[in-house]
Amino acid sequence: MTVSPKVLIVDDEERFRTTLCKLLVVKGVDAKAVGSGKEALKELDSNPYDVVLLDVKMPEMNGIEALAELKKAHRTVEVIMLTGHASVDVAVEIMRLGGYEYLLKPCPVDELLLKIEAAAERKMAREERLRKAEEARGA
Amino acid sequence: MESPQRILAQGSRISTVAPLQGDVFPGKGAEDLWVRCSNLTFAMQILETLHARRSFHQVPWVSLLALSVLLFAFHEAWSGCLALLIALGSFLSIRSLLVDVDRAVAQKKKLDQQLIQSQKLASVGELSSGIAHEINNPLAIIGQEIEWVKHLLKEDEASQGSNSTELSDSFREIARQVDRCKEITHKLLDFARKSEPLVQHTDLNRLVEDMARLVDREAVLKQIQIVRAYQADLPFVQTDGPLLRQVVLNLLTNAVFAIGENGTITVETRNSGRNAVEVLVKDTGCGIPQEDLGKIFDPFFTTKPQGQGTGLGLSICHGIVTRLGGEIQVESELQKGSVFKIRLPIESKKGEALE
Repeated sequence: MTVSPKVLIVDDEERFRTTLCKLLVVKGVDAKAVGSGKEALKELDSNPYDVVLLDVKMPEMNGIEALAELKKAHRTVEVIMLTGHASVDVAVEIMRLGGYEYLLKPCPVDELLLKIEAAAERKMAREERLRKAEEARGA
Repeated sequence: MESPQRILAQGSRISTVAPLQGDVFPGKGAEDLWVRCSNLTFAMQILETLHARRSFHQVPWVSLLALSVLLFAFHEAWSGCLALLIALGSFLSIRSLLVDVDRAVAQKKKLDQQLIQSQKLASVGELSSGIAHEINNPLAIIGQEIEWVKHLLKEDEASQGSNSTELSDSFREIARQVDRCKEITHKLLDFARKSEPLVQHTDLNRLVEDMARLVDREAVLKQIQIVRAYQADLPFVQTDGPLLRQVVLNLLTNAVFAIGENGTITVETRNSGRNAVEVLVKDTGCGIPQEDLGKIFDPFFTTKPQGQGTGLGLSICHGIVTRLGGEIQVESELQKGSVFKIRLPIESKKGEALE
């Protein structure tokens, strides 16, 4: 990848999100971490991100609700869900809401990095396609 | 209230009162009465012995037999004969009935065992999914901290001393143990997953062969021969291929483990009739002790050394085969080997059909 992807980590577990953030930063990812779905929505409104890493089980607004809200306002951002509890129902719901990937904790950082890169590339490709479609409409 | 000892003492005293003595019934000689009483006691003894042995089923014909003995004793030959004939008739009919009862009892016992097993698996499934979730989160944090410390250690490489080598070594060990826990929790979640199987037309021979090929390499290294005995005209089976693959692979790797080195695994497929097919995995391995046979499908039951098995493989297999509407059985002889038999319906009644 030429440009480092901008990644937002959303997890209510403080130690998890700060260490993951540090690990991603040393691997060349432009990462930031927040502790709730609401904070994530606020952060996305003020700064652009390529990929969001979203925990499923969180108090107040859970990951699925956050995903639905986030996709309404930011259609092109790719979301990777991270969870300690995998179930087919949750996976289906995530895919239905437009989530990119669904990973089970604990997940090695290198594996996560590959997913982030793939998600960022997909986001760029989609934006490129949208831009071309708009150009064609304009012309 | 009387103490139990006292009642017992009374009981033993009462039992010493019998047999009846003296001229109890007027008009009848004591000797005659004694003969009749002995007959009666004899009949009662027969009744009691048989009653104890085979509960109530024997009561009708035994009472008729006793009645006929009584009638003979009172010189009622014709009625005695009639009672004897009826006794014989009821004995024969009850005996045939008992065969059915025995069969039904055996079937009930088997079903009870299956029910207990599935209840056990269901409750473990529910419990384990909760536990797995709770454990995965701390594991994720531990895993990340290790990666972070590794990164820090790498940064300090310039000043590397003996301490940092030891630190790296112990972190590698922690990482290994985290992986081990991860394997368990992820398997538990697979186990607890309750989704309905996705049913497709499946070529069972091909599925089994694919899995046999996967194990082939390891088998060759350990001088284990895999013998294929596939029935050529086996009908396609309506089942969930990926789930079944997991089961067959698990049985094959277990067979390799049971043999260790030098031996034969026979994989067989066959049409067992009655709209069902069977997959058999036989090994010439160490076998399973009789006392363990009832436990091998229990979650967490393992005979493998510490750290080498989670004890979930076979219980997952059992869960999958049951969900596919089939059954899995095992027969084993110590030092000779084991046979695992999966029986599957050709037409699946369960699950969602995929076109």
